Amino acid sequence: MKKLMIMIIITFGYSQRLDPIDITMQEFEKIVYNASRNSQKVFVEDFTGLQ
Amino acid sequence: MINIEWHNPSFTPGNSDFDIPEYSARGSMYGVSGIPHTQWNGVEETVGGYANGNWEAFIGTFTALYNSMIDDDTPYAIEINGYAGADVSYDVTVSMDADMSNSNQKVDIFVVEDNIWSYWTGASQYHNARNVARDWLATEDLNISGSGESETFSGSFSLNDDWNSDSVRIIAIVQNYSSKQVYQVTQVNINDMNPDIDDDGILNGDDNCIDIYNPNQEDSDDDLIGDVCDPCDNLVYVLGNLSGDANNLGDPVLDIMDILTLVDFLITGESHECQDPVMNINDDEHINIVDVIALVQIILNTSN
Repeated sequence: MKKLMIMIIITFGYSQRLDPIDITMQEFEKIVYNASRNSQKVFVEDFTGLQ
Repeated sequence: MINIEWHNPSFTPGNSDFDIPEYSARGSMYGVSGIPHTQWNGVEETVGGYANGNWEAFIGTFTALYNSMIDDDTPYAIEINGYAGADVSYDVTVSMDADMSNSNQKVDIFVVEDNIWSYWTGASQYHNARNVARDWLATEDLNISGSGESETFSGSFSLNDDWNSDSVRIIAIVQNYSSKQVYQVTQVNINDMNPDIDDDGILNGDDNCIDIYNPNQEDSDDDLIGDVCDPCDNLVYVLGNLSGDANNLGDPVLDIMDILTLVDFLITGESHECQDPVMNINDDEHINIVDVIALVQIILNTSN
């Protein structure tokens, strides 16, 4: 049980250290994604009739 | 711009086959009560204003609508491939380059026939009917929601002897059935489709990697996704192995990195597609600290 609690405490500590890199990568990914976004074509549905 | 003409049965002469049963369902989606009625990307409409089939009187309004919508950002791209013989086989592939929720997102697939020389009574003139709806082939749930993902919808239909096969097209759209917003549209003439995109001898509908050359169709983890395009080796991403580590024999390794990754997910909510199926360690309905404890137990028991 003691080993288990120590391991959980260590994992929380390590997880905080991942944040600065993750945040930088997330911002970079946003820039790349926005630069490569698809452009939408226009779709028109014409409800009509010959008569 | 891509259009489709839905012909109202009440305004279709008896000697014409332009009206199809699907008119009612499609018109009901938008509350169409009379004609002419145009619906732009599912969300903007015009009612009346021009003699049937002749947009000339409304060109200013239509130009403004078009300009307000063209080149809007969308995460979706659609590609249509297949083969046109006596029957037409199609593969509609939707891919994403950004994240978007797939809630209520659907893919609709239509068959149209273009350039049908016709007499329009309301306008007292002959001109081409353009992209006349011939069939509403399918409405499929879109299951992808993340950048880099793609999904293919395959099917087939028979050509009608009365159609000009040179003018038959397939139109596919991505539409939200709650807001009615259309997010992307593509059309292709059936004679311009590619039946084997990666030219590996395996037709698109049978290929486990549609756009990567793999004639032998290797699939080591038997997940129906070919090895050359499979982002997740399910022989490595087993339950608990969130980091995807493997030893020099290729066997999955569960260690403290998997615990760290699971904790990081609980804090940030972020994961990738290979991790999602292997996080629920205790196989209940939730991913939470109990799964962390269960994973720790597994690792401790394995190391003992």
